[in-house]
Amino acid sequence: MKVLFVCSGGMSSAIVVNALKNEAKKHGQEMEVHAIGTNEVEEELKKGWDVCMVAPQIKHRFNQVKKHADEHNVPCGPIPPQAYTPLGGPLLFKALNELKK
Amino acid sequence: MLSKFVDFMENKLSAPMARLSEQRHLLAIRDGVISSLPFIIVGSFFLIFAFPPLPESWAITKWATEHAAGILIPYRMTMFIMSLYIAFGIGYNLAKSYKVDPLSGAQIAVAALLLTITPSVVDELGFVLPMQYLGGHGLFVTIIVSIISVEIFRVCKQKNVTIRLPEQVPSSVSRSFEALIPVAIVIILMSIITVVMGVNLHHLVDKLAAPLVTAGDSLVGVLVPVFLITFFWSFGIHGVSVVGSVARPLWEVYLVNNSEAVADGAETIPHIAPETFFQWFIWIGGSGATLGLVLVMLFFAKSKYMKSLGRTTITPSVFNINEPVIFGAPIVLNPLLIIPFIITPLVTATLSYIVTSIGLVTPTHIMPPWTLPAPIGAYLSTGGDWKAVVLVFVNIAISALIYLPFFKMYDKKMLALEHGDSETHTEEKGIS
Repeated sequence: MKVLFVCSGGMSSAIVVNALKNEAKKHGQEMEVHAIGTNEVEEELKKGWDVCMVAPQIKHRFNQVKKHADEHNVPCGPIPPQAYTPLGGPLLFKALNELKK
Repeated sequence: MLSKFVDFMENKLSAPMARLSEQRHLLAIRDGVISSLPFIIVGSFFLIFAFPPLPESWAITKWATEHAAGILIPYRMTMFIMSLYIAFGIGYNLAKSYKVDPLSGAQIAVAALLLTITPSVVDELGFVLPMQYLGGHGLFVTIIVSIISVEIFRVCKQKNVTIRLPEQVPSSVSRSFEALIPVAIVIILMSIITVVMGVNLHHLVDKLAAPLVTAGDSLVGVLVPVFLITFFWSFGIHGVSVVGSVARPLWEVYLVNNSEAVADGAETIPHIAPETFFQWFIWIGGSGATLGLVLVMLFFAKSKYMKSLGRTTITPSVFNINEPVIFGAPIVLNPLLIIPFIITPLVTATLSYIVTSIGLVTPTHIMPPWTLPAPIGAYLSTGGDWKAVVLVFVNIAISALIYLPFFKMYDKKMLALEHGDSETHTEEKGIS
């Protein structure tokens, strides 16, 4: 599965990327996760992603990101604030699975 | 009671303000300025090469001083004329947000900026442009003319005031023809102002902006954005990205003016508060000066959760990435940690401002990438002032001291939770 993380500059979500990958491995899933900044969203979504998740610190830009995601029929949801840490893998994995439904 | 207050602050204050920063033109300015940062970062490093922080008697220092003018040429063509890059960036992003051709928008903005300057004829050289108007001094004019010119372009486009060619013509050709009328309007308008009326927009705007430039460089001008940034983060909103949309142009003007002073060998460096001042002296470990908090976590945590959070967040914190701390601890919506999160930077900002203004620490004038560890960043940013490094360590110590009592109270709470009902504690972690 290909998961796209969006945060302010793509820096902080890079840390959470590994948390999600490791959690997915525990569940026997291979996951491709990529972190980008908001200004790259429009272009990046064209490349085909399964899910798009938006970091909590840019929740004021969530609707804008969701609009782009909707155009490409990519399910898009917020990353829960408590999951946005290197220890947040399990919570993040749960949120991701709910989003996919 | 408290939750009502928090609700009110979040929904009535921080959220609307954050949305305001998403306004189309502010967004275009923000992205335009940010797009120029690589050129500013790389360009500013040539100042270090020209004035290396080494003993004056060394051969390499002597060589660099002799050849400073040459070494500084890459700086002159990048950071020194940053407004040219920013005009392109603003024009591009604003046009893109209107869904009109971004490249045309960028070019029109550059033309509008260039037409605010009058070239003069110099013997042997021919036509010469005064470059300083393309630098820090020209940034306000750049923002204004870039926006006006792209507005003209997109109104023409939307009202179909364009020359359209038959469909058989390749799109790249027809696109350039579509821009003909708006380009003509912008060029004629700017020529009337600069050439016919003889108005120097830069002098005019410099006068109007002067009070703002002074205010932003005062102690209050430093403390207000510092407070606002941690205020936004307290609700989990990226404070720098909100406040920076408005303040960054001013911060870049300070930086470029400072770098110019150094490049010209001036005695004093004019400004205290470029963005680099905030980055290297205040936001050590990220917004809220949280490196101190993470160190306290590492050495004093009793609860399992805080111990492991300290261990996993120390590395990103050294490189000034602290979202894992802000959302992990969490600081967001957690009054116990919000208090030191807001107080600490106000204290370290005041101290840093004072020691810089009395000349103890060199004002920052070089922009290293923000992910460098703070002592290195501060050293480079001040052109190699070891006292800046001392200031960084003092600020880290202050931060740790202020966070310590609050952290201990919070850690005790977490420990009680871990010993108590182990089934519910994972849920409560995030909300407490």
